[in-house]
Amino acid sequence: MILVTIDHLPGKEITSVIGLVRGSTVRAGHLGKDITAVFKNFVGGEIGDYTKLMAEAREQALDRLREEAKALGAEAVVGLRFSTSSISPGAAEIVVYGTAVKIS
Amino acid sequence: MAYVDGELSQEEARQFEQGLAADPTLAKEVAELRALEVMARQMAAPEPMDYEWDRLSRDPLQRAGVGLGFALIMIGVLGLACFGTWTIGFQSDLSLTLKCLSLGTIAGFTLIFLTVLRGRLRTLPYDPYTNIKR
Repeated sequence: MILVTIDHLPGKEITSVIGLVRGSTVRAGHLGKDITAVFKNFVGGEIGDYTKLMAEAREQALDRLREEAKALGAEAVVGLRFSTSSISPGAAEIVVYGTAVKIS
Repeated sequence: MAYVDGELSQEEARQFEQGLAADPTLAKEVAELRALEVMARQMAAPEPMDYEWDRLSRDPLQRAGVGLGFALIMIGVLGLACFGTWTIGFQSDLSLTLKCLSLGTIAGFTLIFLTVLRGRLRTLPYDPYTNIKR
């Protein structure tokens, strides 16, 4: 499955557009991570636990998008975009969406 | 492996998923393969800081500090919860109705927390995203 953020695939032709596909997730760490994150706010630097949390959410959302595209018979997803919002403090919400297409 | 890689036909995948639903061992194996695939996507050269974080995570002083800190917090929170429950139940001048309502609320929160924790522990082996670093 080819996933790209551009609207076309150089060297390939989009033969049909299947439609919108998306994947989303909201993941939380645990209280222990939040406690250490609070102290990292005091001393500065990267909050590794939150970096990990965002990466987990991003990969899960991408996998869900991939699964949906695959189920619809798509061969590629173009115009991929990531979006985020804040539902709960300390949780990572990622929405990824794009257009599923067939290519030749 | 073929299922995780998406190489099965729709019919084959459907049949495999039926087996997956009935066999927890197979489901766990699929989750492990999926975690491996997710990790492979994440392969990147480590940053210099990573080595220092690794050294720190093995440093006995660092481990003892974090471990002891969390242990003290847990003991404190559990102790306070027990003390609060004891005070409401046996030491306060609240009416029996209020005592029952307060203790019921505490019991409800505890029950929900334990149920959520149980759910998380049950599903943790099937979560392929726990080894992602960044």
